[in-house]
Amino acid sequence: MPKFSIKAASLQKKYKVYFIILWVALLLISLAIPLVAGSYYLRLVSLIFIYIILAIGYNISAGFSGITSFAFAAHFGVGAYVSAVAITAYNLPFFVGLILGAIAAAVVGLLVSLPASKVKHHYLALISIGLLEMAHRVFNEWTWFTGGSQGLFVSGWTIFGFSLDTLQKYYFILLLVVICIVIQRNIVKSRWGRDLIAMTDNEIAAAGVGINFSKYRIIGYFFSSLLAGLAGGVYASYSGYLSPDTFSFQFTVFILLMVVLGGQGTLSGPIIGAIIATLIPELFNAAPDLKQIVYGALLVVIPQVLPAGIAGTIKKHFREIDDNQYIMEKRDKKAFEIKQNDISAGTNTDSDDILVIKDLTKKFGGHTAVENLSMTIKRGTVHSLIGPNGAGKTTTLNMITGVDKPSAGMVIFKDKDITGKNIVDLVRQGVSRTFQHVRLFNNLSVVENVAMGGRLFYSYSLTDTMFRTRKMRNEERKSFYEAMDYLDLIDLGHQANNEPESLSAGQQKLLELARALSMKPELLVLDEPCAGLSDTETMEFSKLLNKVREAGVTVLMIEHHMDLVMEISDYITVLDYGKKIAEGDPASVNSNPVVRNAYLGEGAEIYVTS
Amino acid sequence: MQELIFALANGSMYALMALAIGIIYSTTRIINFAHGSVIMIGAMTSYWFISVFHINYILAILLAISINILLSMVIYKTAVERLGDLSKNSSWIVTLFGASIIIDNIARMIFGTEPKAFPYLFNGLDIRLFGANIMLHEMMMIVIAISIGIAYQFVIQKTSFGRAVRAVSYKPDTARIMGIRSSVVVLTCFAISGGVAAIAGALIAPLTFASYTMTYALGIKAFAAALIGGLGNTKGAFVGGISLGLLEGFVGLMIPGGMKDAVIFLIMIVVIIVLPGGILGAKIFNKGSFTAEKI
Repeated sequence: MPKFSIKAASLQKKYKVYFIILWVALLLISLAIPLVAGSYYLRLVSLIFIYIILAIGYNISAGFSGITSFAFAAHFGVGAYVSAVAITAYNLPFFVGLILGAIAAAVVGLLVSLPASKVKHHYLALISIGLLEMAHRVFNEWTWFTGGSQGLFVSGWTIFGFSLDTLQKYYFILLLVVICIVIQRNIVKSRWGRDLIAMTDNEIAAAGVGINFSKYRIIGYFFSSLLAGLAGGVYASYSGYLSPDTFSFQFTVFILLMVVLGGQGTLSGPIIGAIIATLIPELFNAAPDLKQIVYGALLVVIPQVLPAGIAGTIKKHFREIDDNQYIMEKRDKKAFEIKQNDISAGTNTDSDDILVIKDLTKKFGGHTAVENLSMTIKRGTVHSLIGPNGAGKTTTLNMITGVDKPSAGMVIFKDKDITGKNIVDLVRQGVSRTFQHVRLFNNLSVVENVAMGGRLFYSYSLTDTMFRTRKMRNEERKSFYEAMDYLDLIDLGHQANNEPESLSAGQQKLLELARALSMKPELLVLDEPCAGLSDTETMEFSKLLNKVREAGVTVLMIEHHMDLVMEISDYITVLDYGKKIAEGDPASVNSNPVVRNAYLGEGAEIYVTS
Repeated sequence: MQELIFALANGSMYALMALAIGIIYSTTRIINFAHGSVIMIGAMTSYWFISVFHINYILAILLAISINILLSMVIYKTAVERLGDLSKNSSWIVTLFGASIIIDNIARMIFGTEPKAFPYLFNGLDIRLFGANIMLHEMMMIVIAISIGIAYQFVIQKTSFGRAVRAVSYKPDTARIMGIRSSVVVLTCFAISGGVAAIAGALIAPLTFASYTMTYALGIKAFAAALIGGLGNTKGAFVGGISLGLLEGFVGLMIPGGMKDAVIFLIMIVVIIVLPGGILGAKIFNKGSFTAEKI
């Protein structure tokens, strides 16, 4: 490995020590606070802890799932009221009440997020305002349940029959916060976290590696509101009294501010945000109007000035802390070969025609982009799709990979009808693709981008993630080793921990290819893989493609570099105005007069292949 | 009959508010979350001019329109312009929301918390129509709303500014290459939207009383109307606004009191789930768009 990554490794070690010291110090301070603080400050700190849980919850939604919601005061309130009523009116034990509250909040969250799978996410922001208003009405009007505007007194906080005093309450909440922080960290630094980050980053590319983003969004919001409900339940028992006004519009503003201020999508953001946002009003005790204006001003200014929030801005200076630890380890280099998916390979090898397209047609309004296209792709070949601009090549690929739905016709992959199937399903069956305009996950590092391709092969569960079990760590290690192998294949091993945006356009294209390869596809679909590549990089690419073919992977590609197409393809299909005008091996296509007319232009010189 | 006209009058104002949301949405694909505040400022400033400074009704509304235009431009300049590509970055939800909070609280400090009785046009003159007393003000609300709708449609379809709006709305980058100054077009849209919101706020204020809480009460109905009708087209705004007005009148007869609004929001949520594009969903009109170009 080159020198600077070793330096990065030592930087990482150094930063790690700093951060561990910081965390331990924070924990010790939290443990010691009751010894020095008076009851006012003890209550304030306890509230901050509850808000941290709430902010962690909202951060999963806003930061990691990309859903801005104004309803979190409502989720918090639902959790608080349900647990309060369960404990007070039905005499249920504290933990049962807490869990009921969290579940109730999560169910309400589910009702909001289900539409989110169908529509654009800013609709959800609108729905959430409606929900907040509805919840506020319900808290006020359903007096038999909530006590209405009179408020609701919650019976004393007891755990297993023991009544808690202030000190015990404090330590209980502290314990809960620490658990939430640890679980948050473990989930975010796992395949689930990477999936969420990838999804928020680039939906189409996420679908391209098999992430069903609408499902993830619903799950993300579910957990988010679950945590908010949990915080609400704790709040109910801690404060002992609930009033509808607590869960108002102003409280939503406060929740939003915590996360925006601290940094959306960062781990420590909610903590920093909760502390600062709680302390701001302490400065404005005399002028409540001014407090709201300051909140509003912060909400306007922070996203423009510090888009990553406080935590995100600090993190930029300690970027190396997030470097992947597995790829720093010493390991023995084995000869690496590109593999096909061992899950799906061999299941359906009887047919030699891996992909068959029958009478495929796509109409956009009155315009027919592809008309009655039929072609067959043989297993293990490199099949190129060429034709002038607007010939319908990308549309064809989009129909095959389920990005566009065909107006008519059939797509058969491994003897199975996959017409109109979503790309997320196809990925599992062994299709992977790259895009005409590079689609990488810019919030993940280079090596993580490749590892995203290998996400299909993880088997560790959410429980493994929460407890960071050996199984989880081994799988992660293996997947990152493999990702490194793919990176070395395209000569980007030394860039592993950098951001994809720091790569050249050609390197980005190759990185996307490496990601597609790491999905171990049987059919690799490439849309102009060499656009933007330099001559040397094109040569490298052609060598790489030969290796891919040797591994038995079938390649279907659109490409404009004729030298490359003629040299590497086994078959070529030529499209013009949405129709197939020629097909065959390179030599026959090259000498076909129809092709020369349509593609190279009338009277063009005969292309000579080497 | 009286109830019907009342519902239609309210509905036509919701339509105007939805139209104002649509004007911004059409060029930027963002929903102005500060819209409620803009409506409220339109109502409160015209109230101020009429009742405190005793300025002529029409003149007062014109002044309110100019203040709102200015306010909307300031909102764009301070909360939106610097965010860059709005399709990739959803911070605009937060910044516009923040702007709304600032405006509301300043309004509360200036205008106080007391709801104010807002005078009617023509001094609240009634006319007898089909055996019912109809307030001329309500008739004017409907007439004005329809005129503005037609005028806006004309501007969009027939003028060069309208073509620029449609170009920016279809493809901002290409429009920029073609020499259309996207940011100026967007700024103008914010300004028009603010003006329309001022008219809607001032005309509906006599029916609802003018107070700083209008932001919430009316803003959310404006969003509901825009969503029910389908975002980003004029007809949709009117379909959504009128249906919301009628729905509200109908629900109001059956469910009195505070739960009324909650029911309306519930219906809005159901509409979004069942018809994600609204009644006149933009989906129907964009059926032919190329997915290929997005990839």
